[in-house]
Amino acid sequence: MSGIQLLQDIVIILLAGYMTIDQNGLVIMSWFPVIVGMISGLIMGDMHTGLIIGGTFQLMMLGVAALGGASAPNYGLATIVGVFVAVRTGAGIKAAIAVGLPVGLIAIQLEVLARIISNFLAHKMQTDNEAHQWHKMRREAWLGPILFSLQTALPTALVVLVGPQVVKFILAAVPKWVTNGLTIAGGMLPVVGIGMLMHYMPVKKFLPYIIVGFVLAAYLKIPVLGIALVGFAGAYWYFTSESRKADKAAAVTTTGAPTEEEDDDYDE
Amino acid sequence: MTTTMNNNNETDRSEITKKDLRRAASRYNFMAVNLFNYESQMGPAVAWSLAPILRKIYKNDDDYQQALDNHFNYFNSTTVMSSIILGATTAMEAKDGIQSKDAVQSLKTSLMGPLAGVGDTLVWVLWPTIIGSISGYMALQGNPLGAIIWLIANIAFWFIKVKMFEVGYTSGTKLVTSLGSKMTLFTEAASIMGLSVVGALIATVVKVQTPLKFAFGKVSLSLQNGVFDKIMPALLPALLTLLVYKLLGNKKWTPTRIILLVIVIALAGSFFGIFKA
Repeated sequence: MSGIQLLQDIVIILLAGYMTIDQNGLVIMSWFPVIVGMISGLIMGDMHTGLIIGGTFQLMMLGVAALGGASAPNYGLATIVGVFVAVRTGAGIKAAIAVGLPVGLIAIQLEVLARIISNFLAHKMQTDNEAHQWHKMRREAWLGPILFSLQTALPTALVVLVGPQVVKFILAAVPKWVTNGLTIAGGMLPVVGIGMLMHYMPVKKFLPYIIVGFVLAAYLKIPVLGIALVGFAGAYWYFTSESRKADKAAAVTTTGAPTEEEDDDYDE
Repeated sequence: MTTTMNNNNETDRSEITKKDLRRAASRYNFMAVNLFNYESQMGPAVAWSLAPILRKIYKNDDDYQQALDNHFNYFNSTTVMSSIILGATTAMEAKDGIQSKDAVQSLKTSLMGPLAGVGDTLVWVLWPTIIGSISGYMALQGNPLGAIIWLIANIAFWFIKVKMFEVGYTSGTKLVTSLGSKMTLFTEAASIMGLSVVGALIATVVKVQTPLKFAFGKVSLSLQNGVFDKIMPALLPALLTLLVYKLLGNKKWTPTRIILLVIVIALAGSFFGIFKA
């Protein structure tokens, strides 16, 4: 193994650890696959592959968000591991998905574990506060980011240490329909995030806008930014007209005067 | 630097400077979920972040301990919203000291939920979905521009988050509560934009195709081009979306389970030649 490769191994593990710390706080690189893929590609000396793997996982991840303390598959980790394996073995994008996706799914369990362990740290800090040991309390807090960084650094280190050659060997033993199936799954998986998005948002109230977006994209092939702009127009119109209505309603309740357009009030 | 941030006619007894506020804000916007636990969630991170500024407010050791203890309680919100809330509570504590303890707690608990509803929709759902699909497609063609723009935007957002703490501090509780009233409307408007994008994503990002063909003697009809695409473009993705949406409505089907289900369906489809990549 050359010195450059050893350096890449170390930096890629550090990047994986930093990713969680960043995602948990700064949100500058975060776990967004295109950004993570670009950076890991640069580290591995092949930004093009990094971008393509990042882009693939990015589309799978659309709409997936870990809200209110929930955990979600770590597509950022999938990207780092995928880029490492793909560049080091030259095995290609399909291999990156086949290795990255399972690792990203397993990482959920590690996150849950880290959050359980971190409960002890929280109690320790609180006890130190009661004992007026503030210096100690503030120092202990740094164990938090270190603990959480392990949830992504450890799986990455495992892949790096086990060695891409072993990964390549396993991949070669996997039948073609499996790697093909995982590629098909990659095409289908964005549906999960989209389904989750539809549950966060008031779908039933604003169903027409989904149909508008679908028709503009499927039939008229308008790019997503254009559709977002149409959506913005709808949002703007809704916000201004509804807040005018709300202001008017507030004015009515305070003064008791009748509105000019009474038919509008029966909409709801 | 001794710029004191005075709020109208309130007397500022602790000389909180802009630097103190920025320090608290950047501590919070670093630690946020890095001390997360299932019991008090962001609580320890809040206490740790505010520790230096609270020490400046509370010269008395027992008051300081009580104030910190208060912040160890359950807290969770989107970081940009937390910055505003914690800025506002810091102003309350700087003004009234430890007597404000209960008011601080109730302001935090009453606002974190509604503000997280808006904040999460914008910060974690809407923005990453739009910029993610644009930069994702660019990256697939080997173009890093989308990723770079996203990275730069995130740096700008970080400074905004830090600034929001100051806004919360100077505008105080008045702003935070008045934000609440128009917020529902604002979230709804944002959802309209989000749902249009969702409609577009169903048609473009979800990919399901079948290679199956019907053969009638010498004539063969491709199921995909000849039937499905004739009925409606992106028919299969739309049906798959409907299925997943229905499943997600059932508590038993967590997102992780559905991901596994999709992988199983894809593997089976690949094995029997029902789906193609």
